Amino acid sequence: MSDKCSCEQPLVPVMVEVIDIKDETPDVKSFYCRKTEGGVPFDVKPGQCAMVSQVAIGEGMFSCTWQEEQEYLQFAIKKVGLLTDELHAIEVGQKLGVRGPYGNGFPVEECQGKDMLFIAGGIGLAPLRSFIKYCFKHREDYGKITIIYGSRSYADLCFKEELFNEWPAIKDTQVYVTIDNPEEAWDGHVGFVPAYVEEINPDPAGMIAVTCGPPIMIKFVLQSLEKMGYTDDQVITTLEMRMKCGIGKCGRCNIGSEYICLDGPVFNLAQLRLLPQEW
Amino acid sequence: MKILNKNQLETILNKLAEEAEVFVPMSKGNSSGFYSWKTRNPETERLMLDALNVYLSPKNIGFPQTEKMYSIKQSGPDVEIKETFEDSDPRIIFGIRACDARAITCMDDVFLTRGYEDSFYKARRDNTTIIANACYNPGPNCFCAGMGIDPTEPNADIIIRDTGDTGYIWETKTTQGEQLSARIADLLEEKELKAPELKPFKTNVEYAGVAEKLKSMFEHPIWEELSQTCQNCGICTYVCPSCHCFDIQVKMWGDEGYRFRCWDSCMYTEYSAEAGGGNPRPTTKERFRNRFLHKLEFFTERYGYPLCTGCGRCIVACPTGINIVNIIDQVKEANVDV
Ligand SMILES: Cc1cc2nc3c(=O)[nH]c(=O)nc-3n(C[C@H](O)[C@H](O)[C@H](O)COP(=O)(O)OP(=O)(O)OC[C@H]3O[C@@H](n4cnc5c(N)ncnc54)[C@H](O)[C@@H]3O)c2cc1C
Ligand code: SF4
Ligand code: SF4
Ligand code: FES
Repeated sequence: MSDKCSCEQPLVPVMVEVIDIKDETPDVKSFYCRKTEGGVPFDVKPGQCAMVSQVAIGEGMFSCTWQEEQEYLQFAIKKVGLLTDELHAIEVGQKLGVRGPYGNGFPVEECQGKDMLFIAGGIGLAPLRSFIKYCFKHREDYGKITIIYGSRSYADLCFKEELFNEWPAIKDTQVYVTIDNPEEAWDGHVGFVPAYVEEINPDPAGMIAVTCGPPIMIKFVLQSLEKMGYTDDQVITTLEMRMKCGIGKCGRCNIGSEYICLDGPVFNLAQLRLLPQEW
Repeated sequence: MKILNKNQLETILNKLAEEAEVFVPMSKGNSSGFYSWKTRNPETERLMLDALNVYLSPKNIGFPQTEKMYSIKQSGPDVEIKETFEDSDPRIIFGIRACDARAITCMDDVFLTRGYEDSFYKARRDNTTIIANACYNPGPNCFCAGMGIDPTEPNADIIIRDTGDTGYIWETKTTQGEQLSARIADLLEEKELKAPELKPFKTNVEYAGVAEKLKSMFEHPIWEELSQTCQNCGICTYVCPSCHCFDIQVKMWGDEGYRFRCWDSCMYTEYSAEAGGGNPRPTTKERFRNRFLHKLEFFTERYGYPLCTGCGRCIVACPTGINIVNIIDQVKEANVDV
């Protein structure tokens, strides 16, 4: 096992142990990881990612949805293929490889004093949640917090406990939830996220909007925000490209001359407009 | 000045090979590349110091085609990994040309700068001494000068210059070079010889201004046209001395195995394919465009010079005659107001 700092050996993982696994939705599970001897392998800023590996199978890039001090790193992982199928089959006690942290993360400091609007779809809440929880942890540094989140169905909503109970109870916080199609037991909003955003129409004055979700949702949310009067530097998103190294060497995650693993994944819309439209 | 007499060449290579792996340009069957001097088979491998560019670049010496990164051993939920630095012993690249030497500069910038040092590359690079052979008579597909490289001044620890006479001028450029020169000092002669004049290039191209122009050409119809015949075979990226993309994969036999990296190519669909069928570069056009923009625009924006060194290998290798010089020319001629 490598005991070296992950920066000296940026491509070699550190081993951690899975200490808890939670079902979030039928195809999303949360994995809580820490080193066997205790402590986290590295500190992660909101919005940063790590390469998580079921070592004998493969590696994948995942947003660290939360770091609880030195207690654990949490990843929310959707089952979509080879590696993630395997991850969904493991049990508590399994050793996983992690390397990172990678990427620039959200500009948490620059956003201080602002009202925050978080717009997420599906598993896209995973990266935003690290920023949302950071704001709550430093509640006095941020203004009003508005969260708009949607999924295909009620079952597909991630982090339900926080969404319906914890977050709405926090001072100056509004949480709006929508699902794509009507369901019998659901008396909340029905419809797609971009339309819901326009319906709620949060005032752009003093606001920073942060959005993540399926590419098609992001595209329409960006259009809606523009229509609602948000300027390009008021809108932040986090991108996904296929990644292998995470450190700007293997070449594959580029958009133009930027490597999303290193220079991103977080960009504001003004920065994104300078890049070729390949995202 | 120090002169390496041609009749001393083998003696010097033998001497150097006592303390390091010495890679020299050699023919091998129908192909040619940089191979170990010590373990050469004189029947099938011949030194080719006079050839300009051997078919395969020396890329694999610093960046092996496949490289084990760490071994893996699992038992139940427990997993143990151990780094395996495959081979970082001292090595000398002898007889490399300016274009391939520039490609090593590209690799150095990619693997050793901008936030992270690649520990695998670094271990080998720190142990590598480069002895370059200055060019005075460019080949039919050479266009290094157009890419801003002086073929007579390669970036190296030592430069040798073929005087056309009985010897090479031996010019030591760095401290690492001095240490090496000291080891063979008694085999070099002291004599005055003159380096030849650089002959004109047969392939002429002018890269200056291309990166700037390309900035506005991402959506230009030229990519559709130029990529028409490309088969996405990837041979251009394979023979390229500066293409550095890699994949990371795992190989297991039961509970034991290793993770390795290997060369990859942006010409392949798999390269950027995402789970669920998404792919930001779904067709040949996007992949082709990315390759040439990476070479001619993106790398320049990031590192200050292009990722093409003018070695001409892809021109020779491409089965459908795609020619980067032609692409540069077409970009320069393109009307950007469409
Ligand atoms: C910056 C970033 C953050 C991410 N955060 C999360 C997260 O918090 N939660 C989550 O569930 N997923 C996240 N993903 C997506 C996740 O990396 C992929 O879903 C996962 O790698 C799929 O692996 P697989 O082997 O199960 O799928 P397969 O389809 O079997 O994967 C095949 C290959 O494609 C790669 N790949 C597939 N999809 C993607 C993708 N969308 N992006 C990048 N590489 C991909 C895999 O690494 C693998 O090498 C993130 C991706 C990126 C780039
Ligand atoms: S491209 Fe330039 S440096 Fe390379 S072999 Fe030809 S003349 Fe020499
Ligand atoms: S060698 Fe030619 S055909 Fe093959 S991928 Fe490169 S440009 Fe396309
Ligand atoms: S993942 Fe390798 S360059 Fe970004």
